[in-house]
Amino acid sequence: MTAVAVPATRARARVVRPVLVRLGTSVLVLWGAVTVAFAGLHLTPGNVVDLLIGSSTVTPEVRARIITDYGLDRPLPAQYAAYLGRVLHGDLGQSYQLHQSVASAIGEQVGSSVQLMLASFVLAVVVSVTVAVLTAGRRWARAVFSGIELVGISIPSFWAGILLLTVFSFGLGIFPATGGDGPESLVLPSVAMAIPVVATLSQVLREGLELTLEEPFVLTARSRGMSDLGVRLRHALRHALLPTVTLAGWMVSFLFGGAVIIESVFSRQGIGRLTLAAVGNKDLPVVMGVVLIASLLYVVINILLDLLYLAIDPRLRGA
Amino acid sequence: MSTNTRLSIGVSLLGVLALAACGTTGRDTAAGKAPAGPVKGGTLTFAVNTEPSTCLDPHQSPADVAGLFTRPALDSLVSLDAEGRIHPWLATKWTVSPDQKTYTFTLRDGVKFSDGTAFDAEAVKANLDHIVNPATKSQLAAGYIEPYKGSEVVDAHTVQVHFGRPYSPFLSALATAYFGIESPESLKQPQDALCKKVVGSGPFVIDEYVVQKGITYHRNPGYDWAPEGAGHTGETYLDKLEIKVITEDSVRLGALTSGQVDGIASVPPVNVKQVRADSRLTVTTRQAPGGNYNYYPNTTSGPFADKRVRQAFRDGIDFATIVRNLYFGAFQPAAGPISPSTDGYDKTLEGKTTYDPAAAARLLDEAGWSGKDAEGYRTKDGKRLTIRWAFLKSFAREQRDTLAEQIQAEAKKIGFDVQFVSGTVNEWLEKYPKGDYDLVDFSWQRADGDSLRNLFDTSAIPTAAKFGQNAARLSDKDVDGWLSGALDTTDQARRAELYAKVQQRVTDEAAVFPVYVFNYLLGAGKKAHGIGWEPQAYPTFYDAWVEQA
Repeated sequence: MTAVAVPATRARARVVRPVLVRLGTSVLVLWGAVTVAFAGLHLTPGNVVDLLIGSSTVTPEVRARIITDYGLDRPLPAQYAAYLGRVLHGDLGQSYQLHQSVASAIGEQVGSSVQLMLASFVLAVVVSVTVAVLTAGRRWARAVFSGIELVGISIPSFWAGILLLTVFSFGLGIFPATGGDGPESLVLPSVAMAIPVVATLSQVLREGLELTLEEPFVLTARSRGMSDLGVRLRHALRHALLPTVTLAGWMVSFLFGGAVIIESVFSRQGIGRLTLAAVGNKDLPVVMGVVLIASLLYVVINILLDLLYLAIDPRLRGA
Repeated sequence: MSTNTRLSIGVSLLGVLALAACGTTGRDTAAGKAPAGPVKGGTLTFAVNTEPSTCLDPHQSPADVAGLFTRPALDSLVSLDAEGRIHPWLATKWTVSPDQKTYTFTLRDGVKFSDGTAFDAEAVKANLDHIVNPATKSQLAAGYIEPYKGSEVVDAHTVQVHFGRPYSPFLSALATAYFGIESPESLKQPQDALCKKVVGSGPFVIDEYVVQKGITYHRNPGYDWAPEGAGHTGETYLDKLEIKVITEDSVRLGALTSGQVDGIASVPPVNVKQVRADSRLTVTTRQAPGGNYNYYPNTTSGPFADKRVRQAFRDGIDFATIVRNLYFGAFQPAAGPISPSTDGYDKTLEGKTTYDPAAAARLLDEAGWSGKDAEGYRTKDGKRLTIRWAFLKSFAREQRDTLAEQIQAEAKKIGFDVQFVSGTVNEWLEKYPKGDYDLVDFSWQRADGDSLRNLFDTSAIPTAAKFGQNAARLSDKDVDGWLSGALDTTDQARRAELYAKVQQRVTDEAAVFPVYVFNYLLGAGKKAHGIGWEPQAYPTFYDAWVEQA
């Protein structure tokens, strides 16, 4: 029993330690993100009180009361400390503009964005793996797809979205143009969002596959009579996946940014549009809430990726 | 972007703001001839380009779209027709005291709010008090009844409203959605809750407003108090009404042409012809009252402090031709500060100022800008004639950015170096109250000649403490006198006379460069009928119905 248990513990320690280190650095990342957002927004021109009051004409007394209500009269370090303290208690504050708490504002929008991001992520992975496996090392297919990928990277998401809408919604009437109800409304926006990701991902994957296909063990596998597709799927893909997985972290932040455009084009609810509005309105609590959520997401994804590395590459687990 | 339009300040000045909505006058129908007459049932889907994301409650929000979204659910005490006449609605009659400081309303019997509360004098008092309550932080409505002293409940069906001084625009303000009567029970909620949902006695009941998505309504069963002049009486024809928010022009248009929605707001001017040519669609327009889309020169500092330079800019650029070419005739060139559909519009201004580059050159010479530098710009004492234009590109609807660039190119021909400054809303908001600009642009809708007071009265000059619309920063004792004189009288002819004087003076002073008259461009499918207009040129849905498949 012990003979088995010790290596198991060791193996677990090898997994747990980097994760703990990750968590530590993650907290730093989150703290940094909030701080930078706070500083950046306070450095941009525009007076928060004026934004709160809006176009109404108020007496100096009312103005003073708003300043006190929102704590805007306190020194910046005090506002910052208070904010950090509240964040630690899970309180993201009250939006200046939306007449609700930041948590509920984000909560209302986050589901729709997560759906969109998940759908385009899955779509991107499935399509790019398929394309890369089928085209790696094959001259003509490779040339054709590289060309398509170049176009995919170059076209703006906005334009791709409009094009998809024109053909599949306005023209053929297959999918609804707008909204966030049901799977059919998810198709076009996730395709539009996945296009640049697929284009990048399949190139990286194909390159990895092509390098691996040159390896001696591939020749060995082939000499044992394994089919070409079998070699690609069973042996080469696993090798080629590692650099791709690293890219996945980038993909998530890319999708987060892309949501701003895609959600606007397709009139979907979501964090992207919430952020856009909050930045324009200088709605500090909402912007910082989004920054926090985005950093948290980024950190979580990276921890998951570290674990995924271990699953993909046994050498990282080995003694 | 938010066009989105979530910045109430930016929004207000960009003309997205307007006093919206009054009586549903069903006479003008937006969509063609009815084949078989109205049928009951069905859902009408309408797509708009902006939303009141920060707050739905029109007592609080200044956004026109807050008025548009809540008008179906809120009735007003009185209604206003296209000719500027006031009609009974929730109030059956009213009297004004001889000193014009007290309005006494007799209220309709048997009206119920959709939450079951009865409508009475207490409800009216609760609404007016709510609007002026500092806690409401009303960004528009409170300002429109600024001399309000208080309301007095005489009996259940009689209420008196007292003012500190005579206040003639009261009834027309009262007719707007910003004075829509909400259930006093729902007014007891916190302000934030009202921003999500308002409860009134209107023909529709709000189901839910979801930010970035839209708003849905259902028919208010038993509704029987439509304003005089509506197309029908009793309940709505529609079972349901859905207003979607589609900010992208091309997507909104595509949703209409592909039949995914029954109607849209703001057909892009460039597409008007294409939509008109489509036999399945119609475009109807309605001229908006209030301030035109104008450019306002800063009359207190910079080159435009000299009246001759202002006149040179106005007369040396062919605004009318640029507008006609850019908008394909969808918007007509403006002749004065306010639109022809505004009560008190002075028709004599038309043709008074004409395009005359030679005269402009003479004026600039006289003003001392007689030199020319290597690039062809005029100079004075070695200084170039530079105009700093506080322009908000991100809010530039209707290709106003393209228009601005064309004006810039034309201005260069007569020697003006026009430069766009202040890229973001926040930068703009820093400069505007301080008068740190030579030129700004906006439109501003309101169905009363009193809009001139918002645009040119000394008290409306923006400062750090007070946000105003007098962007020309004009301070003219005569103008102030005429404007306050118009407040003191309910004699329409006298008011029109005073407002004409104001329009002539600001034109003589070149305190405004009129650009175009805003037309609401409503696109609809042939199956949608009876979409009406309220006098401030926003669509209403009380008389609307859809052909059943």
